Amino acid sequence: MNYLILGITRGSMYALIALGYTLVYGVLQLINFAHSEVFMSGAFGSYAIVHLLVGDGKATPSWAVPFILIAGILSGAITAAVIAWLLERVAYRPLRRRGAPKLAFLISAIGASFFLSQLAGKLFGRLTSNSFPEFFDQNAVIFRPFGAEVRVLQIVIVASAVLMMIFLDRLVSVTKLGRSIRAISEDAPTAALMGIDIDKTISRTFIIGGLLGGAAGFLFGLNFSFGNTMGFIPGVKAFAAAVLGGIGNIRGAMIGGLLLGIVENLVPLVNIDTKWTDVVAFVVLVLVLMFRPTGILGERLGRAA
Amino acid sequence: MNRSSSETLNRLLLCLAGALVLALMWGPQEGNFGNYWFAIKESLFGPRVLVFLALGVLAFLAMTFWPRVVPFLTRPGVWPMVAGALTVVASQTLMHWADQVGDAKFGTVASAAANTNGLAPLASAFFGGLCWAMLVIVVLLLAAGIVSGLRNFGWAAAVLSVVSAVIAYVSHSAVVDFVGGVDHSLGVYVCIVGYLVLLTAGLVVAMSHAQVANTRRAVNQALGWRPGLPLVLIGAVLGAISLATSTWFSPANRNATLADTRNLFRGTGLAPIAVQYLAWLGWTIFAISLVLSGVASYRRIRPLGWAGAALGAIGVLLTVLTLYRISSIGADLHVDSADGPWQNLGAGGWMTCAALFLIGAGGYVAATAPRHSERTVEVDSDAVASGRSASGAFLTAPGAVRSGLMVAIAVALFYPPTANGFWQSVLVSEIGIYVLLAVGLNVVVGWAGLLDLGFIAFYAIGSYTTAYLVGSLPVKPPSWLEMSPLLAIPFAVVICLLAGLALGAPTLRLRGDYLAIVTLGFGEIIRIVAVNADGVTNGSQGPQSQVPHPVINLGPVKITWGLNQLQYWYLLLVFVLVVVLAFRRLENSRIGRSWAAIREDEVAAQATGINTFRVKLLAFAIGASTSGVAGVFFASQIGFFTPDNFLLNNSILVVAYVVFGGMGSLPGAIAGAALLTWLPEFLKDQVPAADRQMWIGAVVLLMMIFRPGGLIPARRRAVELSGFDQRQRLEPVAVPAGEGL
Repeated sequence: MNYLILGITRGSMYALIALGYTLVYGVLQLINFAHSEVFMSGAFGSYAIVHLLVGDGKATPSWAVPFILIAGILSGAITAAVIAWLLERVAYRPLRRRGAPKLAFLISAIGASFFLSQLAGKLFGRLTSNSFPEFFDQNAVIFRPFGAEVRVLQIVIVASAVLMMIFLDRLVSVTKLGRSIRAISEDAPTAALMGIDIDKTISRTFIIGGLLGGAAGFLFGLNFSFGNTMGFIPGVKAFAAAVLGGIGNIRGAMIGGLLLGIVENLVPLVNIDTKWTDVVAFVVLVLVLMFRPTGILGERLGRAA
Repeated sequence: MNRSSSETLNRLLLCLAGALVLALMWGPQEGNFGNYWFAIKESLFGPRVLVFLALGVLAFLAMTFWPRVVPFLTRPGVWPMVAGALTVVASQTLMHWADQVGDAKFGTVASAAANTNGLAPLASAFFGGLCWAMLVIVVLLLAAGIVSGLRNFGWAAAVLSVVSAVIAYVSHSAVVDFVGGVDHSLGVYVCIVGYLVLLTAGLVVAMSHAQVANTRRAVNQALGWRPGLPLVLIGAVLGAISLATSTWFSPANRNATLADTRNLFRGTGLAPIAVQYLAWLGWTIFAISLVLSGVASYRRIRPLGWAGAALGAIGVLLTVLTLYRISSIGADLHVDSADGPWQNLGAGGWMTCAALFLIGAGGYVAATAPRHSERTVEVDSDAVASGRSASGAFLTAPGAVRSGLMVAIAVALFYPPTANGFWQSVLVSEIGIYVLLAVGLNVVVGWAGLLDLGFIAFYAIGSYTTAYLVGSLPVKPPSWLEMSPLLAIPFAVVICLLAGLALGAPTLRLRGDYLAIVTLGFGEIIRIVAVNADGVTNGSQGPQSQVPHPVINLGPVKITWGLNQLQYWYLLLVFVLVVVLAFRRLENSRIGRSWAAIREDEVAAQATGINTFRVKLLAFAIGASTSGVAGVFFASQIGFFTPDNFLLNNSILVVAYVVFGGMGSLPGAIAGAALLTWLPEFLKDQVPAADRQMWIGAVVLLMMIFRPGGLIPARRRAVELSGFDQRQRLEPVAVPAGEGL
């Protein structure tokens, strides 16, 4: 049961990142390989604010904790959104203008990813395991369902992730921007003919993805540790999660992320050594793709060419 | 605000932002979290940021006034000016100027010269800033001449270039004499070449337009109509320099030219053929082959071309033989503690080899060029005067591609022996092996259009197969199966082929991006298995005993690898050549065309009767087996390896090499891999080592932004990108920015 809770925690972070991949895929049919660096920049951005607010965190009054958490999430989200927006302007838009082949986008994103992660390392140090100041008792056990322990931090992570996902789901299904995003992912040229500003919508899609990824970066840094190369592995996992759920499909990304997180944490239960965790995760991915070649929920949002 | 001024503002902001980013990239390193903003403060809030902002403003001005600059760019003399100035700048920033001084870089030499009393005043002035002043003045004079059209500026620039070259040479000699010792640095020579190019620019500016047009026409006719002549010319210059002045034999404290070497070994029992070579045969063969090939390509006489090619080949063999004789007898006699065969040879002998090779190649190109060129090169004098056709005639001339190929081969054959040990090992273990990998992946990604992010897995399988077969793993092969690494190649190929089939069979039905993640997963699984299966692979330590170097032992022929990197380099070269030749045949075969069809439109390809699954599987298997060969090389060359050599990052990098070079083009894949593996080693001396990846990322990003087709785009792709009629593609650009919603 403990493993399940750990899995849900980790899975909700994967899901937040995976949403960034899936949103961009939805509008561009491209894998945004630099999204892992967007996620990383969220952690660095929020660290600046949190550090400014609480110092080393020892003297933080308990009433301030929720506000600091919100400030952390917001600052992480905003930093990452700025980076994502810049990324779209620099690494994607010029290539779109030139009608570059699909792989050129992939490579420009990889270049941007190297650049961003190393620039962050150059500016803020290359230690791999920096941690946030501990400004509240993260490990206090709140309640124990079925003998498992649910900790404060886990509740914070899952609750904020769920809130953001609900927000995103509403955004995409109700608002005008959401309609434009869906329209573009169905058929970009036609959407353009219907009067949708493609450039603006794509830009905003990157920003939304960046907001979610940056928030995940803050939560991830709070839960584990952060550094300039932190993005790579969660990025790959989240990409896998997005594919698992059906890339381009928003709810799919949420489900895929949760599923991947849970599977990874359930590995020790079935008597497999934890060092095989990644193998199990990828095997599950391959198996799912064998039976449902377009992911669990399929590509409802994207086109299924 | 109207549209154009808002665009201008945007551009200004973009340039300034770029300048700030550059300031950050050049900024100091920062290591700790206690002082979080240190690096940013240091790089952005100091006087140094003004330099970068000024650069940004310059870039902005250049972009804004570009349309007004363009007419001047086509005037004669611009390109020589740019090329010459860049050469001089490169020589004065990157190259070695005096081997005895510190790290021998120009900057080090200059600061040493500034702190030295008693140096000739001219040399102090040169290293103390005169070098840059001269360059700036020459360039300004040229620019003034080009813009105003006044010829005297051109003459002034030409004279000043010559003076500058002389000053550079004199200052360099002064420093070298002052310090004493042996100097192998090339900086000053490159600098002189740069000034010679500037001299050309000056002369071009000084001539009238009609004269320029006539000269260009003459040059174009001489080179464009005479296949192989450029090769012969390069060979002539190279050969003359190397035979007359370059170092042939350089044990400690000695720089013996050809003539010195002859005197050094007089009466020491050097083999007669080598004695004759040093005395007269070398020069004679050089001269005769030069005449043969030159006349053959100038008058387009085929038999003479073949004769020149044959003589060039004989000359190369004789030179190599002589080098072997010199070095072994030098070692026998312990001349200045010479080490052994093939050691202590200067660049001269290898340069002579390259020269003879190029002369022979010129003859060959002349002999095989089509008798009647299909494309008649018409030299339109207006176009020539404006410079438009200057390079055009060159590149479309008969035999141009073949000539380029020959130069590349000459470099690949004869450059490595002159490189130092560090670069030799880079050539083998980075450039050579990754070129092989990129060529293999090009089949999968470039031709069949399948995104494979786990390519390094096959490389790992090849390496581990080798380690298994030579008995370096905890799991021993049956004793009758133990073998030398070279024999492991067929086994590795078969096993990688099978692995490729095993991965491909269940997954190739997936569409592009799903395939990417599955292959990525496969790559990770292989690596994790290698790390964790202690009993089989010895875990994260890698194979427990060294993978031996290969040995060929066929009675009289006995070759043992591993003495130095060069042996591996030539072995690799043979393999790359075989693979490239085979793939070239494949590209235009039935299968290659099926791959192209699948890449463009899988449904349509299936409809025309291609068994898409089988053809894709084939691409996968071929790519995998090439990767396996690279793995065998890697294992036996490096001896010890660990699973960390097969990280996911490497897979991604290989994809980047292929796309950077130009997807689906073989020369592109080779060039991309060579360039991007060379770059980090080159940057090692230029920027802090930890920042290298950042610069590489920036280079890749810029390349994709400005040249999405890659370095050398495949012909098919080039057509796709620009279109037959320059039509824009209907992707999301349908609505101009700012007019939607």
